[in-house]
Amino acid sequence: MNTQSLVYLLGGVVGTLVITGAAFAIGAVLGAPVAWAQRSRFFPVRALIRTYVEIIRAVPPLVWIFVVFFGLPEVGVSLQPLTAAIVTLGVIASSYLAEIYRGGLAAIHRGQWEACAALGMSGLDTARHVVAPQVLRVILPTAATYLIGLLKDSALASAIGVAEIAFRANAETQRTGLGLTFFVAAGVLYVLLSLPLAAMSRRLDSRIRARYAMT
Amino acid sequence: MDKYDTPQGSAGPAAFVRAANIVKAYGDHRAVDDVSMDLKAGEVVSIIGPSGAGKSTFLRCLNFLEMPTAGAVTIGDRSVAVGPDHATPSRKDLAALRRNVGMVFQSFNLFPHLTALRNISLPQERVLGRSRQEADERSRALLARVGLKDKADSYPSRCSGGQQQRIAIARALALDPAVMLFDEPTSALDPEVGMEVLAVMRELAGDGMTMVVVTHEMAFARDVSDRVVVMVDGAVVEDGSPEVVMSDPTNARTRQFLSAVLGR
Amino acid sequence: MKWTEYLPELASGLGVALRLTGLSLLLGFPLGLVLAKLTDSRVRALRLVAVGLVEIGRGLPLLVLLYLVYQGLPQVGLTATAMVSAVAAFTWSAAAYSAEVIRACLVAVPVGQREAAIAAGMSDRDTFRFVILPQAARLAVPPLMNLAVQWFQFTSLAYVITLPEIMQAAYLLGTVNFDYLSVFLAAGFLYAAVTIPASGLVSLVEKRLSRHL
Repeated sequence: MNTQSLVYLLGGVVGTLVITGAAFAIGAVLGAPVAWAQRSRFFPVRALIRTYVEIIRAVPPLVWIFVVFFGLPEVGVSLQPLTAAIVTLGVIASSYLAEIYRGGLAAIHRGQWEACAALGMSGLDTARHVVAPQVLRVILPTAATYLIGLLKDSALASAIGVAEIAFRANAETQRTGLGLTFFVAAGVLYVLLSLPLAAMSRRLDSRIRARYAMT
Repeated sequence: MDKYDTPQGSAGPAAFVRAANIVKAYGDHRAVDDVSMDLKAGEVVSIIGPSGAGKSTFLRCLNFLEMPTAGAVTIGDRSVAVGPDHATPSRKDLAALRRNVGMVFQSFNLFPHLTALRNISLPQERVLGRSRQEADERSRALLARVGLKDKADSYPSRCSGGQQQRIAIARALALDPAVMLFDEPTSALDPEVGMEVLAVMRELAGDGMTMVVVTHEMAFARDVSDRVVVMVDGAVVEDGSPEVVMSDPTNARTRQFLSAVLGR
Repeated sequence: MKWTEYLPELASGLGVALRLTGLSLLLGFPLGLVLAKLTDSRVRALRLVAVGLVEIGRGLPLLVLLYLVYQGLPQVGLTATAMVSAVAAFTWSAAAYSAEVIRACLVAVPVGQREAAIAAGMSDRDTFRFVILPQAARLAVPPLMNLAVQWFQFTSLAYVITLPEIMQAAYLLGTVNFDYLSVFLAAGFLYAAVTIPASGLVSLVEKRLSRHL
């Protein structure tokens, strides 16, 4: 592999990180109302959200990417490959992150809400200053693990031509025939990118466990 | 009810079970500090003492569930020694020794995926090479013996704690051990349920089984055992007949411990 | 054309997908058990190899693993068909993930179980076979079934190495009819039609198995 190829492949890191980061951001924001609606008192709301989550998960991510990228133009919605990948993976992420939020919410004792109510705090204040900080701590390790999964899923964007790591490794392979070299290199890049995330997840996990004396 | 044969010649002073200079150290801390103990065949010894005294650790050293840092254990004619002067004992030697030692745990440790009957039969088949039919037959007899004839086909999850512990005793007896070790067998049980387990143990003792019992049951220690050993801080501080140890202890730590548990 | 009319056309792809899933799990799960045992081996070299295989299998995107096998092996003079490559990559990944699941389940069996068996004089091998493994297997069944469902979904990735599975069939149909939306929705329906009942089955099994322990 010459320098030019290496630089080209390394350039794919930008695409991979942009897809991963943007999709995670969309999922994190969109996941909150989904998680909140899953706790709704109204059965139809809960059923609707449940269906949304189930349908998203019942179909492989690559299928959703193709529906969005190849299918939606037929109904007048044409997206760039990068946008299509980000939006699709973001919506999928919302269903998973909602589930993670829900687990975090469930871990918080009812007494916390009751204490806030007894102190006369508003619902918004309770959510912002009492519930959210606790939920965040509980879910950070799981969310970090999901983020690593998303990093790997971002490779799916190569199937619709987004020039991230996997796409570029494939392109160079087609050009040179050195598949082993390029895909080993691509693999190394993915592992290198996930290492800091994994380390962070472990650190957070052990610190949180230590603080709350959870086993 | 079958009696346990006393091995030839062991009626005399020769020890049938001998633990010599057992040490178990964790770093600088000696959980068991040079403990020796001899048992004649048919003798019942209770080990009492405050929690953290190393009683269970010592007991677990006797069948090498806990590998002693140094010391030797002799059961019948088999001996295993460990320490700086000895090679690490082979698995075969350990298995051979364990075959002669039955153990009953505080938390029963029945196999949850097997019925009561199969719990008792499995080790017989694997360790003694008995056929399934032979093993099951023996298991049924043992279940009847501990008063649980009708529980043969029940899974442990369907049995009360006392029943589970009695099944565990039957499982240990099934290998015809030379000595039985009991590690706080009633600690996880309600007092009235513990009684049914203690009753089985009393019967065993009466039948001549050699037993080492780590226990907090002072009544059992006093009424059933031939000897009571008091352990404090990893060492034996008292060893004698129940009458002497429990009513007229010489050691200050023993007195302190007994007054705490007996409320006098 | 209505999307339902595409379903029969995708059936052959479904067959390929199921075959790929079945083969890779049939090979991957036993391999996972071996890897799980080897990661605790007393022999350092075996441990390192096992950990390496597991970490690579889990650390790389399956898509990259697929490319690595299909496009990488020819560089060293080996060529394999798309199906063989896909089975190899999927098996590797399944072995890696199931090794983690199985290891966790083996560790989850209480220490007292091992002690009771050892105290009765049972050998390590017998203890593993008759006491630890049956209990770990019960714990492992639901997560491994979930893995199986996931692996069926992953077959869509084999599209990139031109395996004629569902997505490949759908893409061709879409090109011919110039009707991507309906075709891919039909494909999605096909995946969901397998995934949803399968997931239901998993929760059912989970409930039944948890009754005994």
